[in-house]
Amino acid sequence: MSGLVREIRFLASDRAALLWLGIALLVACVSVVLGLREIATQRVVLNELIEIDSAEREVLDTLYQDWGDVAYYTFHLTWDSPSDFAFAALGQRDTSPWKHQIRALALEGQIYETDAENPDFALIGRFDFAFAANLLAPLLLILLLHDLRSAERTAGRYELLSATAASQGSPWFARAALRVGALTICLIGPLWAGGLLGGAGASTLVPASLVVILHIAFWWGVCALVDRYGWSSPVNLTALVGVWLAFAVIVPAAIKISVESIVPLPDGGEILLTQREAVNDAWDLPKAATMEPFIERHPEWADYTEVSQPFEWKWYYAFQQVGDQTVEPLSQAYRDGRIRRDRLAGSLAWLSPPALAERAMQALADTNVAATLTYEQRVRAFHKALREYYYPRLFRGEPVSTVSLQQRPQFRGKES
Amino acid sequence: MISMLAAQSLSVMRSGQEVLKDVSFSIKQGEIHALLGGNGAGKSTTLLTFLGFLAPASGNVHVQGRDVSENVSAARQAIAYLPEAATLYGHLSAYENLHYFLSLAGTDTGRKALDDALDRVALQPEARNMRMETYSKGMRQKVAIALAILRDTPILLLDEPTSGLDPVAIDEFNRLARDLAEAGRTILLVTHDVYGACHVADRIDLLQNGVLVGAFDRPAGMDRIDTEAVHVAFAQHAGA
Repeated sequence: MSGLVREIRFLASDRAALLWLGIALLVACVSVVLGLREIATQRVVLNELIEIDSAEREVLDTLYQDWGDVAYYTFHLTWDSPSDFAFAALGQRDTSPWKHQIRALALEGQIYETDAENPDFALIGRFDFAFAANLLAPLLLILLLHDLRSAERTAGRYELLSATAASQGSPWFARAALRVGALTICLIGPLWAGGLLGGAGASTLVPASLVVILHIAFWWGVCALVDRYGWSSPVNLTALVGVWLAFAVIVPAAIKISVESIVPLPDGGEILLTQREAVNDAWDLPKAATMEPFIERHPEWADYTEVSQPFEWKWYYAFQQVGDQTVEPLSQAYRDGRIRRDRLAGSLAWLSPPALAERAMQALADTNVAATLTYEQRVRAFHKALREYYYPRLFRGEPVSTVSLQQRPQFRGKES
Repeated sequence: MISMLAAQSLSVMRSGQEVLKDVSFSIKQGEIHALLGGNGAGKSTTLLTFLGFLAPASGNVHVQGRDVSENVSAARQAIAYLPEAATLYGHLSAYENLHYFLSLAGTDTGRKALDDALDRVALQPEARNMRMETYSKGMRQKVAIALAILRDTPILLLDEPTSGLDPVAIDEFNRLARDLAEAGRTILLVTHDVYGACHVADRIDLLQNGVLVGAFDRPAGMDRIDTEAVHVAFAQHAGA
């Protein structure tokens, strides 16, 4: 009987180990299923919204004869399609908006009107695979390994086992390796099944599996280190749970607090409020107070700035843009701050392997802060294209036509 | 003839206490040597030192002429060890336990050999497939002894091998030990059972507080060591 077969049989008869491995498999399966369901729901929602968005515009395009009305009443759906691996790490999709309905009005407030807080460093997110693999799996590994030797010492078998195995090498490594391997399979198996069902390729699943393996290997090392002290099983367990608590909860929380204090950030609501104040104030100001800063940005319309009526659409859209210009420094600071926080959090995450593994998975799933910021920039680019489309028609007073409406920019989802 | 086991001026410290003090003895092939003493006398410590689990503070121990500290693995390969109150795996049967431990030792043993060994220790056939957690202490001890027999090693270190056995089983064990010795295997057993030691051993060393305080050899032509003399010495030193 080879050593591996012997230890597999032994493991198969260890009811406690089988229970923990069964829980690991169950947790991984449930997390993958929940992740797949969430992403499927998001896709269904997006598909429905895209259809509604298109149908609505078709109706609206027949209702208005003025470009000001068209621009005011027409909403445009923007969205960030989930990647095929997003099911495994929902990440920022939990806390940052991944769809907007925007108009050609002031933009920054539209982007941030749902931002109640800065979701820059997800400590513990939804029950997805990343949560199961990075937070729960280390606990299960601890339960599998904490008494590997100490239980044998307590039972009086330690010397017998060590002396008996003298010519065959240490039985402890084989036992531990088998448990670590089994746990890893219990995690990676459902991940691959979910990945293949969800359309994720090997180019994502292989590095994700590597992240899981390296993270589990780290915890194996921690268990081996604690085991070297020769403590009893309860002391081992207490020490290891303490280490888990430190790495998985306390250090990430401390990192979050540190990052927030080192990099102060305006919140999304502040941007929204400032912009709205700027836009609302414009109603009571002389028209020139709006048109001058507008023309600074758009000199090509300098010859069209005369506003003779109490209300003209070109003036209205100009002060919408000036509203954006007013909050530009704030918005830029917000973006820059989030990038700085993310970078700092990324560096400090090396102090917490679970947080590091979480970030690695979010990067693979395209659900991290960088992905959120990229989507926001795509929304800005689209909004800019909308303005560039509407301004000539508003300022020159062109009539609305079907041909012209067909030239209006359309938001395109990213390739998943 | 080379000594199979030898301790020379052996001293061992445990938790800052000297638990063996200048102990010397040697055992030749085919001998049964008993270390007799009360609780804490240093008997089990001696066995653990031969197995390399404890290092001598001074002096040395040799297995088959080789210093244990220089090659622990070689020493352990030459030894079958039966720990005190050996608890094999309760969730496995006798067969499964024997299979597991023999595989661990790299010994490939068939079912017939297992049955032969279990017959020799008189473990009931109907119990052999039952989980050992259902066994009595004596039954568990029999399986542990069977394991020691099945290990094809020249030396057996047995720590309280008759603990938990009934008088009939103790007699059977004594006969078994003699058979093994006659087959050339060397046995070092530790016990506080004066009567049993006198019946099975070729030589008894009396250990008290880590010091050898007496030695008794089986006289030529006799089937046992003088129990009365050992009893008197044991009681005298235990009361000292």
